Amino acid sequence: MTPISFKGTREGLHITLAPAPWREIMEELARQLNRPGAQSFFRGARVLLETGNRMLGVTELEELIALLAQHQMTLTSVLGETQTQDAFVQLRSAMPPPPENLQAEIESAPEHATEDLSALLIHRTVRSGQLIRHAGTIIVIGDVNPGAEVVAENDVVVWGKLRGVVHAGASGDTRAMVGALFLAPTQLRIGNFIARAPDEKRTQVWTAEIARVRDEQIVVEPWNAV
Amino acid sequence: MTGRVITITSGKGGVGKTTATANIGVALARRGQRVTCLDADIGLRNLDVVMGLENRIVYDLVDVVEGRARLRQALIKDKRLPELTLMPAAQTRDKLAVKEAQMIKLVEDLRKECDFVLIDSPAGIEHGFRNAIAPADEVLIVTTPEVSAVRDADRIIGLVEAAEKPAPRLIINRLRPSMVKRGEMLDTKDVLEVLAVELIGIVPEDEAIITSTNKGQPVAFEDRSPAGAAFTRIAQRILGEDVPFMVFDDTSGLFDKMSKFLKR
Repeated sequence: MTPISFKGTREGLHITLAPAPWREIMEELARQLNRPGAQSFFRGARVLLETGNRMLGVTELEELIALLAQHQMTLTSVLGETQTQDAFVQLRSAMPPPPENLQAEIESAPEHATEDLSALLIHRTVRSGQLIRHAGTIIVIGDVNPGAEVVAENDVVVWGKLRGVVHAGASGDTRAMVGALFLAPTQLRIGNFIARAPDEKRTQVWTAEIARVRDEQIVVEPWNAV
Repeated sequence: MTGRVITITSGKGGVGKTTATANIGVALARRGQRVTCLDADIGLRNLDVVMGLENRIVYDLVDVVEGRARLRQALIKDKRLPELTLMPAAQTRDKLAVKEAQMIKLVEDLRKECDFVLIDSPAGIEHGFRNAIAPADEVLIVTTPEVSAVRDADRIIGLVEAAEKPAPRLIINRLRPSMVKRGEMLDTKDVLEVLAVELIGIVPEDEAIITSTNKGQPVAFEDRSPAGAAFTRIAQRILGEDVPFMVFDDTSGLFDKMSKFLKR
């Protein structure tokens, strides 16, 4: 078993970590990135890191981000345990600036700085204890179960039942929206607004709904009215 | 000859992992399969008690891993079924006494000798759970029809998927048909709607479980016990037989009326 695996996707480079010792993973990653020809291939890539069962601390994540930065790569998304996610959030503020070509892209984008980042597509059920955080829009094809958390800097769209905690516009963008085929989140946040599910149980009617901020509060409407 | 390795786990404690392991083991062995039940709950071992083999333990899993005993010395033969053996956990050590690689090696050795290795996982999602999952070919998740147990089962399913195991199958344990009928308990549909995995068995609440646990005589030895019959059907499904799921609604009617009558 190799300690890491690479997969190129439209969103960027998808790196999955196997449950190997951390040293081995870093050595293997460094080796892969330093391979002849790899330099030009990986340069400027956005990286989606999948950590599986492993919990990464701030130090480990920092080391990884630094290594990626040496190759002009940026970590944009993390899929994994809550603890790893917390470390990622802590570091995001202090992250090295994106590589030059990305920088130019972002600067040319009008006002909405993150709008340019492509959406993250999650094609499975997001289960209790799993947290997905992405610097752009998140699209889930599947359910978001109670106890799961989905945090996006732009919109969140769930093609399925949304029953966990959802946060759109996580960096304060109140123009973000949340849409789901069945919208019954434990808690719904957009920017710095918070709404929670009514305490009485909802009747199980399948209607696609959309939540957005209007007049300083979160409103939910049927999707067809949009 | 290599046996199938099936880990029985749940996340939440007290939902019936150990009971399920012992009974599925008995049911498989009664159908002529050679089965080894392995207790991975080091430090809080129970499987030996439920199987009624506690007083026969000389060596345990940690002794084997640390080289103080050979595999055959630690394996305990069941007193009723020659096809059934138990690999007991250590009671005086903790989960960190065994590493994932050691567990995998141990199970690799065990599976050469039998048709099935059933691993009774500890509760929780920490080291002990990871040890129990690492060697598994298949995973069975036990839950009760309670929101908290279902939530933990969902968490576990996520971790099993992350460990790149095949999709786990679900046992719903301690279902009370009368409560479901009154709308006071989650029913099978509610549970499956959240977890979205394949169901392998529904086990009704059965008082016989308590007496059988205390006596060390798993209910799967008795065909009259509703829970025992349910575990036997799970074993049949593991063997690939197509067994219909029981409908429990009708069985409780008379019993319910009687117990209500008695309470008055």
